[in-house]
Amino acid sequence: MPCPDYAKRWFAARAWKPFPFQRAVWRALSRGQSGLLHASTGAGKTYALWFGALNAWAKPRPAASDKRRPAMAPLTVLWITPMRALAADTLRALQVPVDELDLGWSLGLRTGDTNSAERARQTRRLPTVLVTTPESLCLMLAREQAQVELASLRLVVVDEWHELLGNKRGVQVQLALARLRRWQPQLITWGISATLGNLDHAQQALMPEGIRVQGANDKTLKVDTLLPASVERFPWAGHLGLRMLEAVVEQVEASHSCLLFTNTRAQSETWYQALLQARPDWAGLIALHHGSLAREVREWVELALKQGQLKAVVCTSSLDLGVDFLPVERVLQIGSAKGVARLIQRAGRSGHAPGRPSRVTLVPTHSLELVEAAAAEQAVAARRIEPRVSPQQPLDVLVQHLVTLALGGGFRPDDALAEVRGAWAYATLGEGAWQWALAFIRHGGLSLLAYPDYRRVEPDEHGVWRVPDARLGRRHRLNIGTIVSDAALNVKFWSKGGGGKSLGSIEEGFIARLRPGELFLFGGRTLELVRVEQMTAYVKRSSGKKPAVPRWNGGRMPLSNELAEAVVEQFEAAARGDYHSAPLRAAKPLLQVQQAWSALPGRNRLLLEQLKSREGWHLFLYPFAGRLVHVGLASLLAWRLSQRAPASFSMSVNDYGLELLSPSAVNWQAALDGGLLSPANLVHDVLASLNAGELAQRRFREIARIAGLVFAGYPGAQKSTRQVQASSSLFFQVFRQYDTGNLLLSQAEHEVLSQELDVVRLAHTLEHIHGGALDLRVIGRPTPLAFPLLVERMRESLSSEKLADRIARMVGDLERAAGPAA
Amino acid sequence: MNPWLAVSVAGAELWLLAEKAVYWPAERVLLVADAHFGKAAVYRALGQPVPHGTTATNLAVLDTLLARHCCEELIFLGDFLHGRAAQGSASLDALLAWRHSQPHLRMTLIRGNHDQRAGDPPAALRMAVVDEPLLRGPLALRHEPASHPTHHVLAGHLHPVYLLRGAGRQRLRLPCFQLGRQVTLLPAFGAFTGGFAVTRKPGVQLVLASAQGVWALP
Repeated sequence: MPCPDYAKRWFAARAWKPFPFQRAVWRALSRGQSGLLHASTGAGKTYALWFGALNAWAKPRPAASDKRRPAMAPLTVLWITPMRALAADTLRALQVPVDELDLGWSLGLRTGDTNSAERARQTRRLPTVLVTTPESLCLMLAREQAQVELASLRLVVVDEWHELLGNKRGVQVQLALARLRRWQPQLITWGISATLGNLDHAQQALMPEGIRVQGANDKTLKVDTLLPASVERFPWAGHLGLRMLEAVVEQVEASHSCLLFTNTRAQSETWYQALLQARPDWAGLIALHHGSLAREVREWVELALKQGQLKAVVCTSSLDLGVDFLPVERVLQIGSAKGVARLIQRAGRSGHAPGRPSRVTLVPTHSLELVEAAAAEQAVAARRIEPRVSPQQPLDVLVQHLVTLALGGGFRPDDALAEVRGAWAYATLGEGAWQWALAFIRHGGLSLLAYPDYRRVEPDEHGVWRVPDARLGRRHRLNIGTIVSDAALNVKFWSKGGGGKSLGSIEEGFIARLRPGELFLFGGRTLELVRVEQMTAYVKRSSGKKPAVPRWNGGRMPLSNELAEAVVEQFEAAARGDYHSAPLRAAKPLLQVQQAWSALPGRNRLLLEQLKSREGWHLFLYPFAGRLVHVGLASLLAWRLSQRAPASFSMSVNDYGLELLSPSAVNWQAALDGGLLSPANLVHDVLASLNAGELAQRRFREIARIAGLVFAGYPGAQKSTRQVQASSSLFFQVFRQYDTGNLLLSQAEHEVLSQELDVVRLAHTLEHIHGGALDLRVIGRPTPLAFPLLVERMRESLSSEKLADRIARMVGDLERAAGPAA
Repeated sequence: MNPWLAVSVAGAELWLLAEKAVYWPAERVLLVADAHFGKAAVYRALGQPVPHGTTATNLAVLDTLLARHCCEELIFLGDFLHGRAAQGSASLDALLAWRHSQPHLRMTLIRGNHDQRAGDPPAALRMAVVDEPLLRGPLALRHEPASHPTHHVLAGHLHPVYLLRGAGRQRLRLPCFQLGRQVTLLPAFGAFTGGFAVTRKPGVQLVLASAQGVWALP
């Protein structure tokens, strides 16, 4: 081959030997093939694609003439990464060989953080390689000259595709690729993905055809569990696991550098504080990292970690992804990891140097999590990894994309439909939904009269759809993206005569409940609220006791199906008397009480427990289907029961099961015999059971934002997103009343069913229950499985009575609370 | 269920209507605050799609009230039109048509903050337009809820709503009347208006308005 082999030269210079998978990718790229590289973390995957690209297209740096800098090659490679933080690191990694081999390629970064000077430079001439995020790519597509500017593109690499696949950002990538492929049919696409349960789907969603390359073998992964000295037989999750503090301190002490993963930001704040209290001498050696901290703070922590200056970092999923921290020796997972993939991902953050094993230690926060730990050890060993599935036909993303196309040179509907169907998520997009989307961006709805005076996109005299109003174009560009954040306030130190240092952001709802002078914990400090002004909470340091711990809304992830199944298998093992694993042995006292008072759950037998207490008639059931499904199931069951006889139920759910409580007598056995758990009419009953569409209304907030119904505001002149929030619920009501055919409403309903309630898993659960046996036990007092449900009760009352009665009863509640009238 | 609640405000008997309006029988006046006509049109002009129908709903409710109660005058306590873009919109056409169906009704607008920007309604609507306050009997009618040295104030502007919380996690957001010692607030009448959550305070009576009737909170 006449082409230079940069890979060979560079690897030889370092006396490195390429892995077979790297050679495979280089070969494929030289033939112009697309593909999916399935590899765990490590730099090898980056070089697999990078040298493939260099070998295929790079030329030596041209000699500089006197007057001008040498002209570098035009845009050739787009490198898409899910995180801005990752983008800068990727750029650095790509830059090294280009400099050393003295190649004529320029590299650039384009993310939300890119400054305006750099953006202007890129507008004049794009670099040869652009590292960017899905949102920034969509912004480029919204430029009038997008097709010309992107004409020389040869390769798109989508890094960490597993992180994008399952959400709307991934759908944006699919649509962007469809656009690029239409302009450039020869375009090569490569995805890089960690292990998933469904790699075929991951590949299909990214490219019409391509090869699959398996990366280097997974490194050794060690999972163990920190066992408590004693086991509580009636567990509850109220103390965030601080009982294990002493043991954790010992582990941190013994290791050079470690990461402590928690599941929530509140939990990370609490643990960081507790560690510092236990070991004041660790001040400066341990740090806190979560998504609400200021970027500078997070970057400082990341850098210090990389340089090996930190003994431990307490973090949340904010460090799941991102740059590699070589010095990290081990990972501790506080509480349930909720999923096998997530646990493996987190474990992979340790032992990054070649040949070193990754090690994760599970820290159960209550004794039922010992059983879960036993299950997680087993599931990781067996690599039972969860699948991820691309959303299907989200119309809000389509509507946003169509406006992007209209701005990016305009579109003709027929061509655009063919193009959009080229994206996996819309492959089967029906004519009806398509026509609705077109009508929606043109008139607001299918009926011409529906939205008088409204127009966002219109065909010009040549039939090309464009955005006629430059103002609307500007607004659309600011609105691009599918990440809808909660209303957040900046947290800054108060200083007279000017803003102090920024600490991060905090949810508006939390601050709203605090009065000036009150204390809260944030970023590892105790802070006193001084005042709230213009979307900023000003604070000062405080040494007071009893600060409030902020609650951030956010991912309360449900236990994954894979992990849940593994948990049930552990219960079955215990039922057989097979206490093979250490954590299960530790949980034995609890399991024995459960077995003696009731029974242990099993795969093909649903355990139910009925209890009569002073509170009323309880039913506990343990489908082990995760929190989301249990929420849906609980409201479904309460609704079905109240159809038989008017009644109100309190409900409580966790990842293992749920509780229904009625103040009046219920014959549970009769209800079960009468088809309470039947899979029939599931969707109808679930929809009917949803409290007046409240869930759909919450979902609509995100959809309204993405589809451009509400506007998050101009940067700088930011109005509180709470106002947008209020108006999105207002929009929801107006749409429901005056435009019931609006497909965005159906989308909200669909997303509630599929994402908030996971109706597919719910259906699967009911089918499974239906196919197995019911095991209803009468218990005299709460069992170890029932107890956490009792304690952590989230009362969601549901009634079959009419709204007016509901108001009357609520007023009645207030009457009683107000005491007897004077 | 009560379609209205009669209360005495500064000696005047007022009926707080479930339709988010006030009827004053002694004066034969219907009082409406914050109708925000044409708000949907203003949003559409800004490129935000809002379905049509909110104006028609508002007018239908007015028709119902005018038919049920004996009214000689309709007074808007400010924010009659939402914004400038409402002028000349389809909503205004609907308003004009509706005005023709009520030839004998006197109509008065007390200018509110939105009216300052939107401009006065066209003459064809035959409305008397005045600045606040408009003194009528023992009451000072205004848009913004500032107190008055001699008269009890009836005002709008705030769009008060109250969040009812029930057992479990039931929540219900309802528009409300807020009856204070010096100022009485009306809920926003318009079908496409948001709300400002108010809390209960000593000496202030809240009356919730819902499609099912009005409810005085204890």
